[in-house]
Amino acid sequence: MIEAKEVDKSFGEHHVLKNISCSFEKGKTNLIIGQSGSGKTVLMKCLVGLYEVDHGRIIYDDRNFSEMDFEQRKNLRQEIGMLFQGGALFDYMTVEENVMFPLNMFTHQTKEEKLDRVNFVLKRVNLENVNRLMPSELSGGMRKRVAIARAISMNPKYLFCDEPNSGLDPQTSGVIDQLINEITKEYGITTIVNTHDMNSVLSIGDNVAFIYNGELWWNGNKNTILHTENKELNEFVFGTELTSRLKR
Amino acid sequence: MKDCCNFSKNIPVEFKVFTQTGDYVLLMLRVFTKPQKARIFWQRLMDEIQGLGIESIGIVAFISAFMGAVVAIQTAYNIDSPFVPLSAVGFTVRQSVILEFSPTVISLILAGKVGSRIASEIGTMRVTEQIDALEIMGVNSANYLIFPKVVALLLINPVLIVLSMWMGILGGWLAMSGFGLVTTTDYVDGIRLDFEAYTIFYSLMKTLFFAFIISTISGFYGYKTNGGALEVGQASTKAVVVSSILIILFNLVLTQLFLT
Repeated sequence: MIEAKEVDKSFGEHHVLKNISCSFEKGKTNLIIGQSGSGKTVLMKCLVGLYEVDHGRIIYDDRNFSEMDFEQRKNLRQEIGMLFQGGALFDYMTVEENVMFPLNMFTHQTKEEKLDRVNFVLKRVNLENVNRLMPSELSGGMRKRVAIARAISMNPKYLFCDEPNSGLDPQTSGVIDQLINEITKEYGITTIVNTHDMNSVLSIGDNVAFIYNGELWWNGNKNTILHTENKELNEFVFGTELTSRLKR
Repeated sequence: MKDCCNFSKNIPVEFKVFTQTGDYVLLMLRVFTKPQKARIFWQRLMDEIQGLGIESIGIVAFISAFMGAVVAIQTAYNIDSPFVPLSAVGFTVRQSVILEFSPTVISLILAGKVGSRIASEIGTMRVTEQIDALEIMGVNSANYLIFPKVVALLLINPVLIVLSMWMGILGGWLAMSGFGLVTTTDYVDGIRLDFEAYTIFYSLMKTLFFAFIISTISGFYGYKTNGGALEVGQASTKAVVVSSILIILFNLVLTQLFLT
């Protein structure tokens, strides 16, 4: 479980996160939703330590991340996998080298063992025979899947996904969502997904946190979100032509 | 991680030089640590020597040969006194190439070629979140990305500069014998005249300083890139401009230091 307790974060005069407290459960797909600029990416970056919080605590299974030194964080980060918006694959490495990179850095496995693991995780994300391709030769969906494969190559306890569907067509988005959800359940990972895609919310949102103007505005799940009386959340959920027609 | 070395934001322009120096020092403290995995460091070092050094041989050799030829021709045409021996051409080429042209001018050229490459490569990694990905994995990204480049330039730049010296002197000789201005014997006599091995030491020491400036300044500007493609271009330009200015400034300081 990951917990954020009374988290505040500002950039100069701009107060981005305001006293956010929420928890993200193990074995569940936890979604952070909100409009662009609401602070959900900043919250995720605070959770993984890419930004330092101004006030508050981040707790990973009773371990206070905010008080850890560089070495302790380095060790904890080997339990974290992250899928970035654009994939963040290393341009100068092949798919195989990308997925093998964490194994090369942090394990003492033999080359055969590492290769077996790489092939296993690539197969798990439904990618085969792409080992020798460069990231530039992959489609958007394939890049995301390789990034997921890299994120899970070290058997992480915690998986963070920053807008995994951005730039993908609805069908591929669905495939990525299901893949994240399956992996979460299969390996009992604490998964946090940052999204503004309502399809994702309704299909995989075991736990949903709605961030509005830097505040935790609503907390629920995919079943309760459609029946909420919360005005801002309703505007967000039914903000598109498609969802508003469905509501009518 | 980003917050720790980013004092420069929201600071008045007149103080930026101080805050940026602070950012630079903090970044270097992260760069100059023991690599997390020696085998990966060596692999990256070899790649950087290839990319930053070996791939610069052509341009260094070309420019050096032609500059040596031009210096020789200029000198030969400006000797109009019968009391000045023709061996002065070889002497002038040797002194100008070894003392200033190879270490300083070639370093300025490398600041443009190699510096922009380093800044744009690291800057692109920053804006495409590849550096964040490294940090999330628990990799010291500053050390992983910048340290091999610094070591590679410190190793390969002296080799390039020695090559440049050879090519400069060779270019001068080819021009003299090609245009029939000075005989090979006179030219070689000039090259050998009052030669002091210390000048090579002085030149290579300057080269090491300049290699350090190019690699760390370019790495710094690349690493600190924030934004998109436009900012990567700006970081690359800043890296080249600041490296060049520092090379010129340190050239004055080091020349005074080593030759007094």
